Amino acid sequence: MTKHYLISHENWDKVLNRAISKYLLYAPVIRENHQDYVLVEQEQDISHIIYNTAKPASPLKTFFLPVKENVVREPEGIPRIILGIPPCDLAGLEMLDTFYLEEPYVDPYYQDRRENTLLIGTDCFTAQEHCHCTTYGVSPAVEKYADIRLASHEGNMYLTVLTEKGEEFVREYMAGDAKETDESRMAPVREKSGQLKKELEERNSQLPGYERTGVLIRKSGEDIWEKYSADCVSCGACSSICPTCTCFLLIDRPEFEKIRSLDTCQHPAFERVAAGEDPLHSKAARFRNRYLCKYVWRPEKYNTLACTGCGRCIEACIGRINKNELFVELNT
Amino acid sequence: MPEATARTRSKTRKPARNMYTPLPATVEKVIDESPTIKTIAMIPDEEFSFKTGEFIELTIPGIGEAPFTPSSSPLETKRMEVTVMKTGYVTEYIHRLKKGDRVGIRGPFGRGYPLEEMYGKEILILGGGCGFAPIRSLLYNLMAEKDKFRKVTLCYGSKTPEECIYKPFINELRSVEKFEVLRSVDKPDETWEEAVGVVTVLLDSIRVDIPNAVAVVCGPPVMMKFGTFKLLEMGFPENKIFLSMEKNMSCGLGKCGHCTMGKYFVCKDGPVFTYDEIKDQPDIWA
Repeated sequence: MTKHYLISHENWDKVLNRAISKYLLYAPVIRENHQDYVLVEQEQDISHIIYNTAKPASPLKTFFLPVKENVVREPEGIPRIILGIPPCDLAGLEMLDTFYLEEPYVDPYYQDRRENTLLIGTDCFTAQEHCHCTTYGVSPAVEKYADIRLASHEGNMYLTVLTEKGEEFVREYMAGDAKETDESRMAPVREKSGQLKKELEERNSQLPGYERTGVLIRKSGEDIWEKYSADCVSCGACSSICPTCTCFLLIDRPEFEKIRSLDTCQHPAFERVAAGEDPLHSKAARFRNRYLCKYVWRPEKYNTLACTGCGRCIEACIGRINKNELFVELNT
Repeated sequence: MPEATARTRSKTRKPARNMYTPLPATVEKVIDESPTIKTIAMIPDEEFSFKTGEFIELTIPGIGEAPFTPSSSPLETKRMEVTVMKTGYVTEYIHRLKKGDRVGIRGPFGRGYPLEEMYGKEILILGGGCGFAPIRSLLYNLMAEKDKFRKVTLCYGSKTPEECIYKPFINELRSVEKFEVLRSVDKPDETWEEAVGVVTVLLDSIRVDIPNAVAVVCGPPVMMKFGTFKLLEMGFPENKIFLSMEKNMSCGLGKCGHCTMGKYFVCKDGPVFTYDEIKDQPDIWA
């Protein structure tokens, strides 16, 4: 059912302007020294939206799992569009969906947000320093998990509609402005993401693949984890910005109200039981735990990627710990 | 398409109960079991059923939640008991509860004891300290279905005679046909007439038809570790030893991550595991 459309950039901006009367629209813009999603509320803001650059600073998960929320209330049912999602974050959504929509405990807040959100992914034409999606089998081109795939090229927007939800949006907001076309017309943008794919593969050729990394972690000794965690301050930034880290803490308020607050195994006492036993008592054990989870346990149990190679954890680490250096060292 | 924009939608609708919302309950009675252990009997606002070995999250509003396997009979749905040792912040508040206080119950969660796998068998139960709580619920279940089991032997250990819990229940159990109770304490006093030593010493004095038996272990981590090793030494197969694991269960839904034990979430995949299921996971006794 995949359909392709071409629309001028100018008309696409008009489409978005019509859409913001119904939807909350989040899209990436350039901030002082980084790019991140903002809520696009007015017509004049639409022209600031950027396309086809590598990932925004915030991972996609923040739209579905807020840092803090009351989980004893009705879901809100707010219609939203998230525009400009990079393929690495879309790949991370597979993990989140498997986890939060798994029977019998389908999370009502996650489900509500997923159902009411239109996902518009964008192919990456450029990469950032630590991008390594291709090492884990993720392509810089949007292949799945978005409703619409979008690329901007020489004054035109190239759309590929991947779902019924995406098709509905096209019918309602783009009728008349867009021209249906075929896959062959997409060649200029396909070529650009294809080029980036090659570049990334070359750049990260030393880095072991996803399964191989799991094997290496499993058989690793303690020394390497001690060494690389020496500069860790247990701040949890790596988990906060990770598109697939999902652990949380439940906080009890009066009147049986409960607050769900994102948490991480990097925090001391994360697994400590009341009597005092704590399997993750040392910093090195916590540090290693996060990678065991990402490369061994999650894929084993859910058969999905739990690291999509976005590289945010490397950028966010104030101790300048680079997990990729660790894995290259493990592999030699 | 609805006319209202997202920004004008109301956020104040009253919630239907979901998996995070506790069922309110009223404390009916507080029983002192030992200087550090109390049993809290509660009447939930609605009938509440669970299978033996499954656990609940007990909510103290405004303070926190803690996981407990009910110690009362799973056949009773109007009333529930949990037995709680004072060890931390939430349990401190639980120990302050009195008749009439309001608490909350979420659950039941997890995978309990597989009774069907025990039918027709001899059951050896090894319990220590407050680990007697889930076992008592199991024993109630076994008593109600005693025709389906060959024999039940309970070996229970505690530090001192004073810390032996459920004294009236032990007396009741000793009078039931097919049930045998052996107890040991680490430090006896002058009144103690039963075994002395860690709970595994009791295993030396019993006869078990191991090919037709299953074992159940619940207690503090160190006791579970050495109890399991002793059972293996006696010849119990790894898949016939059922362990009730204690981890920091919080959400109960297999999502919050606090009870991670290797690839498992103890809250959802357990808390009852066979030894062969978990032996290769890290830090199972920590």
